[in-house]
Amino acid sequence: MSDRLSDVRDVARGLPRRPLLAVGVLLLLAVPFLFPGQSDLATEALIFGLFAISVDIVLGYAGLLSLAPAAFFGLGAYTVAKLVVDYGQSFWLGFPLAIVLALILAFVVGYVPIKRRIGNVYFVLFTLAFGAIVHDFFFVTTWLTGGSDGLGFFGPPEVLGIDLGGSTAYYYLTLGAVATVGYGLYVLIKSDYGDVLHATRQNELRMRYLGYDTNRELMIAWLVSAAVSAFAGAVYVGLVGIASPSLVSFALTGDVIIWIIVGGTGTLLGPFAAAIGLVFTQELLQNLWQGGYRLLLGVLFVVFVFVLPDGLVGLLRGDE
Amino acid sequence: MLEIPLITTENFITYALNGLSRGMIIFLVASGLSLIFGLIGLINFAHGAMLALGGYGTYVVIQATGNFWLGLVVSVLLVSLLGLALERKVLYWIYDEPLLGFLSTFGIGLVIEEALAVYFGSRSYTVQSPLSQSVEVLGVSYPSYRLFVILVGAAVALGVGLVLVKTRLGLEIHATANMQSTAEILGVDTARIYTITFVLGTALAALAGALTAPITSMYPTIGLDYITMAFLVIIVGGMGSFKGSFVVSMIVGQVIAFGWLVLSPTYVRILVFAAAMVFILYKPRGFFGKAEVHE
Repeated sequence: MSDRLSDVRDVARGLPRRPLLAVGVLLLLAVPFLFPGQSDLATEALIFGLFAISVDIVLGYAGLLSLAPAAFFGLGAYTVAKLVVDYGQSFWLGFPLAIVLALILAFVVGYVPIKRRIGNVYFVLFTLAFGAIVHDFFFVTTWLTGGSDGLGFFGPPEVLGIDLGGSTAYYYLTLGAVATVGYGLYVLIKSDYGDVLHATRQNELRMRYLGYDTNRELMIAWLVSAAVSAFAGAVYVGLVGIASPSLVSFALTGDVIIWIIVGGTGTLLGPFAAAIGLVFTQELLQNLWQGGYRLLLGVLFVVFVFVLPDGLVGLLRGDE
Repeated sequence: MLEIPLITTENFITYALNGLSRGMIIFLVASGLSLIFGLIGLINFAHGAMLALGGYGTYVVIQATGNFWLGLVVSVLLVSLLGLALERKVLYWIYDEPLLGFLSTFGIGLVIEEALAVYFGSRSYTVQSPLSQSVEVLGVSYPSYRLFVILVGAAVALGVGLVLVKTRLGLEIHATANMQSTAEILGVDTARIYTITFVLGTALAALAGALTAPITSMYPTIGLDYITMAFLVIIVGGMGSFKGSFVVSMIVGQVIAFGWLVLSPTYVRILVFAAAMVFILYKPRGFFGKAEVHE
């Protein structure tokens, strides 16, 4: 296996970066023409790709495994839905509001555990409880969130004569948004701040001796992640037109963790690609083997955790 | 908003007994998690899947033989064997990395739950209660099966508690949990202690699943609801403290039973989880936790 694998690696390494990127961009731009009728699926894949990136910021770079990313994704979706459905406000107003609410909630929930440095194990359990509370809350407060029925139905408005509710238009809108935010996160991670975060994950004590306020660095990552997750949720609700409790469910949290592990933690591009690939795989398998997708996903996840802990990106890079 | 219902002596006893049987199930789940967590430092997320397997195993045997008791014994044995295989073949070499351990068991749990969903479908199953009559307890009529659950839970608490406190095995478990290297130097086979503890924990989860099958309907992800609660119980009770998980399970059982009088079940859950979050932050060792905290 290793011979063939190293061949793949050589090919992957030898590929010129810029033309490869150009091909990727062209491919993404051409999706509505290449796969007519599949734009909605591609839009969903892009949104989940951005969601995976946002969670990779805390898991891969800050080293904090949160079991509540769906809470922020769902918060973003519900904020937009609430404004449009119950208050008749503008669809666009929901986006900044969703981000602000996510930042406030993330700050309130994250401040004490990060400041007190409760440790990985307790952080996992802390966020497990938080995620369960948020899910229960959205489920039970029928007067606020519509309970199990959720909040729907609506579509994004018409802008400059273009109906954004149409599949193709919303795909391009999403592509633009995901590319912009994704590039912003890439710049952030490649900046000095990204290096500090990386070093903190490797040896927090030493970074503290060097005078870095590591709590602040972790807090920034946590807030950025929450804001982008909420933004992804807000874009998502424009696609599906309804905010329902499944968007804050533990199943979605599980999915995003799987995308990240399969793609490669701390690589941004890996989780993005894995999310897109797995969303399409799910669609393909849906018709062939009902229910089999999630079983396959579980097996894939276990294989990656044990055999390929660096994910697809690590496989291609040949990291040891 | 709040409606305070009339509490008579009779329904007070009924509610207290309901809380006790609910608390016992939580205790069976939590004590297994706590033993594994306290000794190995592993957040065993596959624990809920073991509970589901215990429940489904019981269902399958009942379908084949019509005998609940046989189903209970067989499913607990089989799930324990699965736990043994998992520990020996897979988990033992990731004990040093808590995050990897969590992810592994998360994946294993997912595979088991999805396999159940593929085989049985996602609809829920119910099992006929083996003891359908009621008995008189303290002047109220109470379902005898729930009373049986209470007795089993108490017996397990007493039995495992005595093993931990009175026997050489218990001593070795404590020694391994507190100071593994010293225990090894003194001749304790710590790998064996790990295996025994993991299998015991798994058996307790399977027992909880089998016992709960006639009370609640089963679905593939049933374990998730239980282990979220159980993890928080062992946080409040103190990591690895057997006594702690017993006491807190009993308290949570009563809080749920009486909380339902004034609030909807979901609000009660939210309150319990919120209390546990505060505990994690300000008192991470819980009420009874003394042993070294695993990071």
